[in-house]
Amino acid sequence: MPELTYLEAISDGLREEMRHDESVFCLGQDIGSFGGAFKVTEGLADEFGADRMWDTPLAESAIVGAAVGAAVEGMRPIAEMQFADFIACGFDQLVNVAAKMHYRQGLAVPLVVRLPSGGGFSGGPFHSQNPEAWFLQAPGLKVVAPSTPEDAKGLLASAVRDPNPVLYLEHKHLYRRLRGEVAKGRYETPLGGVRVARPGSDLTLVAYGAMVHTALEAVEDLDGARVEVLDLRTLCPLDREGILGSVRKTGKVVVLHEATRSCGVGAEVCALIAEEAFEDLDGPVVRVTAPDLPIPFSPPLESAVLPQVDQVREACRELLEY
Amino acid sequence: MSSSNTEAPLVELRMPQMGVSVAEGTITAWRKRPGDWIERDETVVEISTDKVETEVPSPAAGRLREVLVEEGATVDIGTLLATLDTAARPGEAHADEHEAEPGERSGVVSPVVRRIAAEHGIDVARLRGSGRRGRVTKKDVLALVNEQGGAGPESAIPAQEGDGGRQRAPAGERLSLMRRQIGEHMVRSLKTAAHCTTVVEADMSAVEAARGRLSYLAFVARAAVASLREHPSLNATIEGEHLTVHSEVHLGVAVSLGEEGLIVPVIRNAHDLSHEGLATRIADVAERARSKRLLPEEVEGGTFTITNPGRFGALLATPIINQPQVAILDLEAVIKRPVVVTDEQGRDSIAVRPMTYLCMSWDHRALDGVLAARFLSSVRRNLESWSG
Repeated sequence: MPELTYLEAISDGLREEMRHDESVFCLGQDIGSFGGAFKVTEGLADEFGADRMWDTPLAESAIVGAAVGAAVEGMRPIAEMQFADFIACGFDQLVNVAAKMHYRQGLAVPLVVRLPSGGGFSGGPFHSQNPEAWFLQAPGLKVVAPSTPEDAKGLLASAVRDPNPVLYLEHKHLYRRLRGEVAKGRYETPLGGVRVARPGSDLTLVAYGAMVHTALEAVEDLDGARVEVLDLRTLCPLDREGILGSVRKTGKVVVLHEATRSCGVGAEVCALIAEEAFEDLDGPVVRVTAPDLPIPFSPPLESAVLPQVDQVREACRELLEY
Repeated sequence: MSSSNTEAPLVELRMPQMGVSVAEGTITAWRKRPGDWIERDETVVEISTDKVETEVPSPAAGRLREVLVEEGATVDIGTLLATLDTAARPGEAHADEHEAEPGERSGVVSPVVRRIAAEHGIDVARLRGSGRRGRVTKKDVLALVNEQGGAGPESAIPAQEGDGGRQRAPAGERLSLMRRQIGEHMVRSLKTAAHCTTVVEADMSAVEAARGRLSYLAFVARAAVASLREHPSLNATIEGEHLTVHSEVHLGVAVSLGEEGLIVPVIRNAHDLSHEGLATRIADVAERARSKRLLPEEVEGGTFTITNPGRFGALLATPIINQPQVAILDLEAVIKRPVVVTDEQGRDSIAVRPMTYLCMSWDHRALDGVLAARFLSSVRRNLESWSG
């Protein structure tokens, strides 16, 4: 199997979906001949032409709105936000239009919005956010967050085939740093299933996106403790049984995410565990997250805000020793 | 606030100077415990002085090594409060994490430990675990379950060696409502009253001669009621800080219902009744108690209680007071014993006499031992001089 970067795997996935289905097309700012801000769509305009690689004005509301319209008409649009942060401008189209369409009119809205998210590169408050939790309170949307090149491609394929609007969070920090084997051709990684990134029996460490790698590094050598690392992959729908099964085995849980703390994915996972696996808990359910703060530009401040390997180690050790 | 040598791995945290005229400060609360990881500038302790209340931030990142001043203590400015190990790294093993005081047992039982323990009849409260501050962990209790099922690794150990405390009969049937109510009442009474038990020995010859087919209980009840009229402070109820002395004697008589439990019907205005009247009433309420035909008001409002397990051969007991009364008299078995008797001329001889112990538990909140002894002596006199 060829080894691709996380970014190349996304590009490969886009190419496969567009080859596979003529109704699939991309739209976004400078995604055509320029290849996108991060070059994810580089070369696609050459293969598929400007008709299927739309360069749009700098207007996220229009991008998402056009995608919703096209999806309702039977197309399968893939919209790119230059940075996940800017989805806020398209929020109404997503939350009030796309998410409600099936409920109100019985219409499928098979669109994907790609959200380059996350910090760690001094991007500051408008280019580093992890806005996934905003969408978890809008029933009708699905949210995926791949952590590996293999999943990046497989989850993209499932997102494109899904009849619902799907937000696809691709972590910028992983784009060119992470390499992994990716199968050639089309394949789908089903939405709504966790991946056991590392099996264990003493503690469950739940993460997704780039934090899966922070998690793996943190528990690689924790004095022989067998920590199970769960990669959520899909934040909505959550794989409840996948999470609960691991917790029932270990009895101890740390939930890790780069997004801010309050009412985040971690809060939801913790609540699920408290409700459904209370009698299996052998310690408090712990979160390691960014504090409720904007992301600072300053590199030392940014690393103080984003969860670090040491912090995860300390939290796991504290809970293991509890 | 701190004097720290950048070369040394230990950083000291001292009581800061919080104003020119302030000489001392009080530790309000420690936010961190020894072993906790602390970031630089993170609050370690809250203090108050006569001028301000404030938080003391950590001068460096590190692991809290030692806390030297207890919460609530007031110390001079500059006093060493704690030390911080700055050579430590977060996420590393450290000495404190396994440390539990010898014999220390955490009261915290996690849901999973509680469940597993219940399923296997293990009394977690008696175990000392491997978790923080002696907490019994899931691993500990699972190891114990394995051990009970066969040979297994030693982990959680009973707090007292060789007491067999690690095993208990499997969870049985729930207690009946009556047993739960009796239990609740008895435990509450023991927690409420300052129980003390006084015992006198009584010669029941006179009663024996007079009683015919009547039980001893009716005579003792009559004697006790008469003595209560002499010593009304025992015919009383106490609630909190308030003692009520009653003019009427409403006598509670404990009636055994066999294994089911017991009930204490109340004979109202017992002072109006002769021993024969009392015998009739006792027989009546006992019969109705056993056939469950007592009225609710017949078990309320007692001012003094008599219990009589003696007819089953018991010799001595320390009964539990029937709240909110202040005393309970216990009639024990009447047994023939050799006793020294003194005749009218003052000559001693040994005689065989039907003797009994009158044991009375009383509430030291309401009265003292002298009164208890006087009352019991009065009951004894009434019994020994019984003339019908």
